Amino acid sequence: MGRIIEEIYVWRLPVRLYHWINALCMVVLFATGMYIAAPLLSPPLGEAVWYKGMAWWRYMHFAFAFIFIANFLFRLYWALFGGDKYARFGGFRPWSPSWWGKPFREQVESYLFLRSDEPNYVGHNPVAALAHFLFIFCGSTFMIFSGLAMYGENNPAGFSETLFGWMIPLFGGSYTLHFTHHLGSWMLPIYVIMHLYAVIRHDVVDRTSVTSSIITGYKHKVEEEPV
Amino acid sequence: MQSNQTFADVFKARGVSRRDFLKFCSLTSVYLGLSPSMVPSIVEAMENKPRTPVIWLHGLECTCCSESFIRSSHPSIEDLLFNMISLDYDDLLSAAAGRQLEDQRHRIMKEYKGKYILAVEGNASTKDDGVYCMVGGDSFLNTLKETAADAAAIIAWGSCASFGCVQNAHPNPTGAAPVSDIIKNKPIVKVPGCPPISEVMTGVIAHFHTFGTLPDLDRFGRPKAFYNTRIHDKCYRRAFFDAGMFVPSFDDEATRKGWCLYKMGCKGPTTYNSCSKIQWNGGTSFPIGSGHPCIGCSEPNFWDRGPFYERLAEVPFLGSDSNADKIGVIAVGAAAAGAAAHAAVTAVKKAKSDKHDNNDKA
Repeated sequence: MGRIIEEIYVWRLPVRLYHWINALCMVVLFATGMYIAAPLLSPPLGEAVWYKGMAWWRYMHFAFAFIFIANFLFRLYWALFGGDKYARFGGFRPWSPSWWGKPFREQVESYLFLRSDEPNYVGHNPVAALAHFLFIFCGSTFMIFSGLAMYGENNPAGFSETLFGWMIPLFGGSYTLHFTHHLGSWMLPIYVIMHLYAVIRHDVVDRTSVTSSIITGYKHKVEEEPV
Repeated sequence: MQSNQTFADVFKARGVSRRDFLKFCSLTSVYLGLSPSMVPSIVEAMENKPRTPVIWLHGLECTCCSESFIRSSHPSIEDLLFNMISLDYDDLLSAAAGRQLEDQRHRIMKEYKGKYILAVEGNASTKDDGVYCMVGGDSFLNTLKETAADAAAIIAWGSCASFGCVQNAHPNPTGAAPVSDIIKNKPIVKVPGCPPISEVMTGVIAHFHTFGTLPDLDRFGRPKAFYNTRIHDKCYRRAFFDAGMFVPSFDDEATRKGWCLYKMGCKGPTTYNSCSKIQWNGGTSFPIGSGHPCIGCSEPNFWDRGPFYERLAEVPFLGSDSNADKIGVIAVGAAAAGAAAHAAVTAVKKAKSDKHDNNDKA
């Protein structure tokens, strides 16, 4: 094993906290959401007024949804005003040829085994940045907007319904919005598989300790392995 | 002349006491969701304003809206038809027929230009110049456009006129289109439902008659007073939903106990209507009250929203057997397989390059 020649502090504490709160929220939201769509548990014995079976799952879904939203807003704030060079939006310029041109192409080629060398990035590489933009930024935004629109349905003219109710006609009705929200939730397991695979693979191939970096915050550069 | 009588005149002529007349006004204000302070406005309107002429057209429809309408209990159908609204043209209920009836429509359109309400039941076929719905020797598409031109406002009765209903369900062979797709320059109130509740129908007319304006509409153009909340939120079985007590199948004991029909595909949680509040046939019952899940008949395109007896999770998608969860599982499987394949190629490449390096060294 090569000697560690450099230690870089990449993920600062706010970013790491965001990551783990986000991960927890997403798992809970996916599980409770699936349960709400198809309540599997057997009904309890006795009177309905004694129980909150379904209400509890919905309550958890809403509670974690609001934590998820707050966490997401915090991450947006951090990306815009945090001054953190590895966790900002500034570097993400998919409209600019300087971004999606050579660096993006090189990274894609590397993933497709068309290059033998791995481009080295301390923060997110361009492909990772694009994946995060699509899944985490766009995906979360859609799930939050559609979720708040549906949350507002039981309180017409309330805060949530007034601000997000326009999502319902946009998707052709409450039913279709529920359906799209449900379909959208499958983004999570797909993303998790790709994310975990990419992280582990990079750790094995590049040996930058990217896996532990989301706990410790540090990535490492190692000496070329003498064979 | 009968058409210039006010509501109060009519009540008087029929021997209804002033006390009963005021009761009727109060009841109407309750149905419209108005505060008690608005009752005098209703009384004043009923006493002073001549009845609003209504032209009622029938297009591609099943007449269930009219069937519902004639079962209105507050007010009753006799008062409604002969005394209250001046229903001057209705191919279903008019005594006249043929040419005489069409002449009557043209007379009303001329005499009450810009003042009459156009009530449309059903929608118009737009394909092939609308030949799939011919009424009185002309296509309904033309009749609708002609009659709408001088109307004060349009009421779209039922899901057909509001959203299209079964006529424009996939594949929509006649090109059936709801009224709002054809008439763009008139205020339209959508009163969806298959059929709508009779008291909702009369309530909308009473609102227009009283205030001379259309009621407050929601984002879909439906009167907020009746379509503001979901059936689910006012459902008397909601306690069973919250408790997680669901009917698993129609032959289960839970059906008899009247538990929540959520798992039987009830569309109450996504359907905006007054069924669980006003109920049907003078407050007798409503579908869920009779043990049947809501089919969501007042929602746009409800025929194309999957089977009536399936929960969201089992709903077909993209016209095949697949549903949201199956697509999700397949996509997750594909992602996992892709990752595994990528990992395998990475391992092979690495092994090769290591060997290569070793060879170089050697």
